[in-house]
Amino acid sequence: MTAQPRKNADRAPMLVYKDVRKRYGSFTALDGVSLHVNPGEVVCLIGPSGSGKSTLLRCTNGLETLDGGEVLFEGKPLPKSDVEMRGVRQRMGMVFQNFELFPHKTALENVATGLITVKKMPADEANRRAMALMAKVGLSDKTANYPSNLSGGQQQRVAIARALAMEPHVMLFDEPTSALDPETVGEVLNVMRQLALEGMTMIVVTHEMSFARRVASWVVVFEKGKLLEEGPPTQIFDAPLKERTRDFLSHLGWDG
Amino acid sequence: MNLDWSIVWSSRWLLLEGAALTVLLTALTMLISVPGGILLALMRGSRFKPVSLFATGFVELFRNLPLLLLVYWAFYVMPVLTGLALSPFVTGLTALCLNVSAYNSETFRSGIASIRKGQGEAGLALGMSRAQVFGEIILPQAWRRVLPVLASTWVSLFKDTSLVSVIAVGELAHTAMQIRSQSFRVLEMLTAMAAIYWLMGYPQAKLVDWIHRKYGVRE
Repeated sequence: MTAQPRKNADRAPMLVYKDVRKRYGSFTALDGVSLHVNPGEVVCLIGPSGSGKSTLLRCTNGLETLDGGEVLFEGKPLPKSDVEMRGVRQRMGMVFQNFELFPHKTALENVATGLITVKKMPADEANRRAMALMAKVGLSDKTANYPSNLSGGQQQRVAIARALAMEPHVMLFDEPTSALDPETVGEVLNVMRQLALEGMTMIVVTHEMSFARRVASWVVVFEKGKLLEEGPPTQIFDAPLKERTRDFLSHLGWDG
Repeated sequence: MNLDWSIVWSSRWLLLEGAALTVLLTALTMLISVPGGILLALMRGSRFKPVSLFATGFVELFRNLPLLLLVYWAFYVMPVLTGLALSPFVTGLTALCLNVSAYNSETFRSGIASIRKGQGEAGLALGMSRAQVFGEIILPQAWRRVLPVLASTWVSLFKDTSLVSVIAVGELAHTAMQIRSQSFRVLEMLTAMAAIYWLMGYPQAKLVDWIHRKYGVRE
């Protein structure tokens, strides 16, 4: 355990995971995970592939159902009904590894579509909001482009803008830079760093250890569906309590 | 052999009328069977078992019966079953729609299945309902992918409409056959009929080729 106080530990947590369990057939993806996320925190989930990080993220907004335990969002358990779950999802933005932009819509339409279909915002107002978000991610000149005419990094920035358009209380990033060419990773991480500075609550599943080291306020290490270790980045990267954490990091070539 | 091609020219208005009815029959069948196919594809994917079973039964029944049999069945059996006295045109249209809806359902089902799962998840993550995900994200993409297949179905259907001539729907084949049996000009009328079908069908087939090139899946 660490003596350092966690960011916003005095405030009610935004997300609480209690003994979360998830199985796919005989494979146990999550084997009783408990953790919490305070408002304004940037929590990075790290660990080997298949250790359950992405599954936990997908359980957060109901893309996967739980087999056991519970997830509390802003103090309330995730609702069972589809209709209520839709309300929760509007307050959680999600960014996918493969961007998942809608290929039949322009960049601007991708950003505006949630506002128009879900929030029933008039198209001109939605487009104005979408424009502002495209500017925020540095793509004002690409609004009319279709995703197929954007680089991977640009697509992922549009995807971030699309999620931000709904004014989420928390952003979930599922390996946002894993599918990118190395030269475009930086532009996406910069947008994420900017968001973090603005105080957005973020959960980031990532293999970008330098991002986790510099931007995360809390780092959680997963192994085989269990929480191996959690703590501030200084602890995890400089003085991990668990030998397995050290092994994992050195495997990635991390040497502090 | 003594040929008299004037019979073709003198029956040009009748043949034109028949050709118009053939086009109308094709268009109406497609107009009904595209939404019908989408509906059946959705029903097959339903989590409510009776609905998906019904749709599966419908598709497998009408896809695997010879269309000619279906036309006769609609003409002789359907009125007994339903108590409705329908015109030959509506009867023929019904038979065509049953068959083509079943085919279109399979087309749309494969089109929908070809859209990555993450696309739907991205919509759900924005807070969309399942219906919104389908209408806004899945269907527009699936539509583009199945368009070449639908176009091919259209061309087959255009020719297959000739089968409803057996229940005296006055489309092109029936009209030509009528003139043939009244004038005994068999060779002339069959040739004229072939020429008209080909002249109308060939540009459609070329259009389909173009659609295949433009919209074919390139991923």
